[in-house]
This record gives sequence, C-alpha cells and structure tokens, in this order.
Amino acid sequence: METRVYQSTKNYSISAVVKESLQGYKQSFYLAKQLAKRDISAQYRQSILGVFWAIAPIIMNAIVWIFLNGTGTIKLAQTSIPYPLYVIIGTTLWAIFTDCILLTITSVNANKSIITKINFQKEALITLGFIKLLFNLLIKFILVIVLMLYYHIPISSSIIYFIPFMLISMLALISIGILITPIGILYQDISKAVPIAMQILMYATPVVYVMPKTGFIKTLMELNPFSYLIINIRNSLTGYPIENLHVLIFYAIVSIVLFFVSIVVYRIAIPIITERMSA
Amino acid sequence: MGEVLIKVENVSKKFSKDLKKSLYYGLVDVFAGIFGSTKKRELRGDEFWAVKDVSFELRRGECLGLIGHNGAGKSTLLKILNGLISPDEGRVEIHGRVAALIELGAGFNPILTGRENIYNNGSVLGLTRKEIDKLVDEIIDFAELREFIDAPVQNYSSGMKVRLGFAVATCIKPDVLILDEVLAVGDAGFRIKSFNKISEIIKGCAVIFVSHSMPTMMRICSKMAFMSHGRALYYGDNVNHAIELYYQAFEGENSKIEFNDGADIENIYINNKLTNCDDFIELNYLGTLTIELDILLKKEISKFFISVQITDKDLKIVGQYFSNKFYQNFTGSTNKTKIKVELNDIQFIDGDYAITYFITESIGKNYAFLATYRNYSKLRMVGLNDTIYASIFMKGKSFQNNEILSLKDE
Repeated sequence: METRVYQSTKNYSISAVVKESLQGYKQSFYLAKQLAKRDISAQYRQSILGVFWAIAPIIMNAIVWIFLNGTGTIKLAQTSIPYPLYVIIGTTLWAIFTDCILLTITSVNANKSIITKINFQKEALITLGFIKLLFNLLIKFILVIVLMLYYHIPISSSIIYFIPFMLISMLALISIGILITPIGILYQDISKAVPIAMQILMYATPVVYVMPKTGFIKTLMELNPFSYLIINIRNSLTGYPIENLHVLIFYAIVSIVLFFVSIVVYRIAIPIITERMSA
Repeated sequence: MGEVLIKVENVSKKFSKDLKKSLYYGLVDVFAGIFGSTKKRELRGDEFWAVKDVSFELRRGECLGLIGHNGAGKSTLLKILNGLISPDEGRVEIHGRVAALIELGAGFNPILTGRENIYNNGSVLGLTRKEIDKLVDEIIDFAELREFIDAPVQNYSSGMKVRLGFAVATCIKPDVLILDEVLAVGDAGFRIKSFNKISEIIKGCAVIFVSHSMPTMMRICSKMAFMSHGRALYYGDNVNHAIELYYQAFEGENSKIEFNDGADIENIYINNKLTNCDDFIELNYLGTLTIELDILLKKEISKFFISVQITDKDLKIVGQYFSNKFYQNFTGSTNKTKIKVELNDIQFIDGDYAITYFITESIGKNYAFLATYRNYSKLRMVGLNDTIYASIFMKGKSFQNNEILSLKDE
C-alpha cells in the first residue's frame, strides 16, 4: 500500500525532489491532457471565429508595422526576406516567448479552485499549459507557413535546426516562468509586469526590424540573449544559414540547468503558496 | 480492528491575520524551503496557530468526527491531512488511497456536457481514462442523469451538478476518506441514497468527517475530536460527550419578545418558581412541567389559546403543545388572566432546552397571533444519565413470555 508522509519541509534532498517531480509529470499526464481538452473545447465551443483569435493579435501587430514601413512613416532597414513575412515570423515567435514565460502563472491561477481543494500532482498544471501552448503554436505556424508559400521562400537544410532552437528557447522561457511563479501567485504585480516588460524587450530584439549596423540599439541587441534565438529561428525557417551554431550548446546547458532548478522550486513552493491562495 | 491508516503526531499550522504579512511570510517561507532552512518555526507578528498540537490515530473501519465552531481549525486540519498544505510542526502518515470529498465537481467546466465533465472531474480525482470508462455508466445511473448527460452542465440545476459530482467522487474505492460537509446534497431522495453510499464506503476504510449536523455525526462516527482555537480539547470515543462540549461552546439563541401587539405575558412561574429568561429550570426525566403565567390582552378577544414549543440546542423543535387541541379555548378578558399548563411525563433526554410561548386568538377555524415570546424560558433536563442521541427517550415496559420484566434497582 502506498504511504504518504506530510511534514514541515525543513530539509530535503534535491535528487529526491527531482525524482518526485519527474514522477509527478509522468503520473499526471492523463490529467493534464484531459484538462487541456476541457479548456480547448470549452474555448472553441463558445466562439464563432474560433482559431482566428489565436492569430489575431499577431496579425494586428504585424499590420501596424507593415503599414508604418510601407507608408514610409518610419524608415526601417531593408530585410533579407519580404518585410511582412519578417514581421509575422518575429511577432509570432515573440508571442510564443511571452506565452512561455506566463504559462505556469496563468495555468496555476486558472486552476486555483482545484489546487486549494484537491490533492493531485501539481506538475499537471505545467503540462496542461504546455499542451495548450503547443496547440496555439500550431495554429500560429500555419499562418507563417501560408505566408512562406505565398512568398515562395525556399527551404534549405537550415530547417533541421528549427526544432532544436524552438525547444531550447521554450524550455528556457518556461523554466524562467516556473521560477517566477511562486512570487507571481503571491503578488499579482508579476503577471502584470511580465507582458509590459516583454513588450519593451521586443524593441531590443530583432522582432519587427533588423539589427542596425551600428549604434546603441546594436549593442543592446547583441547583449540581449533573445536576439540570438529570434535571428536563428527565423533563419532556419527562411533558408538562411545559422549564425554561431556552437553557442546553441551553451543555451541548451543553461536551459536544462534552469529547468531542473525550476522544477525543484515549484515542487517545494506549491504547498507553501497553496495556503495563501483563496479560491 | 483494522490496521492503522492515519497517524497524526503533534501537528501544528500557523496562519497570519494580515494579508500583506501573510504574502510576505509566504515569500520568506518559499525561500526558506528552497534553501532548506532548519530554523524552528516560531510565531511571527500577526500570526496565530490555526491548528496546534493535534494528534490521533485512525484504523480501518473507524470514523473520526471533527466538530467545533467555525474557524476552530477543522478545515485547515483536513487540508493538512489531504496533503494540500504542509504542517509547520509535526508529522502526518497516511497509508493507502486517499479520497477527499471536500469539493464536489472539481474541474467541471459549465460549457461542457455532463459526460465530458465526468472525465474532467474523474481525472482531477486521480482516475485514469480506463478506470473512468469502466465507471461512467455506474456514475450516470447513480446520479440519475442519463437523460441530460449530454447537455452542458451550465443548464443543470445546482442539485443535479452536486449529484453528478457526488457520483464521481464516490465511485473511487479509497482506504482513507475525508468528508467535509458533503452529505447534505440534493433533494431528500438523493440525500438518503448518498447517505447509504457513504455508509457502504466507510465500512472498508478510515474516515475523517467534518459536519455541523450532530445527528449525522452520531450515526456515523466511532470517535470524536472537539476542536476549539486549533486545539483538540477532546479526543476519544465518547461521541456524546464531544457533542455536549460542542453545544456548550455556544450561548444559544437569545430570548426575545418577538411580537406582543395583542397580548403581554407576565410573571412566568415554572414548577412554582418565578423565572426570568436567563434561569435554567431543572427537571427530572419523566417529571411534570407546570407553567403558570399572567396574560394581559390588549384588545377585546372572545377566545384564545396558548401554544408551548420546546426546542433543543440544535434549534430542532422537539415538542409542541396546543392548549386547544383537546380542551376548550380560554375565554378572553381585558383583565389580567392567570393560565396554567401542566405537561406530564416529560421524556426529553438530558440537556438544555428553550421554551417559546405563543398566545393565539381563535376565530372559528382561523387564528391570529397575539404574542410570541421566543425562547423565554430555559429548561435543563437531568436524571436520565444516559446520552443517547434522540430527542426523546421513550417510556415503555418490556415483557418476556407475557411477564413484565422487573424494575432495575439502582
């Protein structure tokens, strides 16, 4: 028979927590899948335009920039691929990055009522958020693929790097999101600040315009770890060579370390924040 | 007796009264938890013990009733036992599969159909898809919702929702069952059904049960813990004693003159003693309750009667007397009249009761209230020296082979 022991978390071994956490992901996979199905079907059953809302913000944002650039209101440097595609890929990726950071906080907040009442593997909430993210991501990339076909963008061997780059970026951002979740649940400031910070950070990353040759913005973009990811994911999609491929290993190591730290923090913090949650 | 399934040792939990501080302490605790601080957890500013030093053991087949006034720490203790929050001190050990009927219908989404929500709720409660597939028909039948199972849950009545939630929650076969005030669900028919279902489940597991319904407690529990301010003031198997303690913790409903537009009541004598509303009149089991009072009618009335209502601490009406049921009405007069009611062989069990007086005008088959004196006298029954949980202990004789049993000499 299964035995559970609950006592104050005064000391613990990291390896045990990591093991428990990984088991938590495994055991709660069906639950996460079921909740994702619930959320997605409920969302689309109550909507006429359905999937359009997943891509609407990206299209709107892109239209603004395409308009500003096309009318000459602002003068942007020439992009290597057609500007609309450049903007759409950039804003799509940026939207996904923002979603990744907010994934855990959003998921935990939306399921407060069951967290405070029912004992289940809370890792399910991260998986739940991830499944929903993947679903949205597929819809968003359909838009990108349609545009690529429209502009006859050739596919090169760089495309094989698309998946590793995406996975590593998402892993890193989701981990950061998990790390800020305990604070974000206690204080709502975090979930308000993240979208604003990401909005500002977007302009310091080659999302809607290319990295300038010189100047302050160039330095800023070079220092910004997101630039490397955005540039290379875009390159892999549009057939341009990957820049500084070896740096990816460094990103991968950092992401994996971040991930393990974050799952330990999450597992330890959840019971402590549960008692401060109202449902 | 079965094996020990729940072992609780000196469990304590503290909460903060101040939200800002509570959030800040939460942050501190998260960091302390991550860095494995071994500092002893003292009370910080604005904190109090929501649960303090609670210990008990429960075996398979036993049911522990947790009672106490609101805020006594019952729900917090349940949350600790359910593993939702960890104790600040002490240790909880639980063996076997745990089911908690605390929230019915967790994970329901109103837009989705009843059937889809069975899967949502079931998965939240830890069932796998295969298990739910097997149970789904049983659940639908138990909830009596076959006709509406493919309609969205938002169109269900609240009773239907609760029935569905209950059916899902109870299809699990647990070793440890945590019940929080969920038995009073649905209409009378479903309540009986759910009660029977619970009785069936608890035979094979260890149960912790929180409720404010003492009759239910009495029927189900084999052990009791009476909690007050986070501590278990009583823990043991004298269920009645715990229930008495629970009732003593309340002041009871206040005496008041609810209505006296038609008449005033004065000088209430009970068993020849002038009483005011704060005195308890002691009465022996099978004793006679004699009530004498003066009535001053405020207007011309030809006929009136008095009704005496006796309520227990649960506010349940345990007895009611109407003076005009078998006898004539009193004749009205604007002068002061003295009336007397004699109630014989009072069979109430030991405990405290309140008496309410109604003076009512009789107009043919109709009637009109003249005065209501709510809980205006207090009665304390003694002498039965037994604590059964019923309103009355019936008086009767027993025979064996047509011969009456001789009286017990005590």
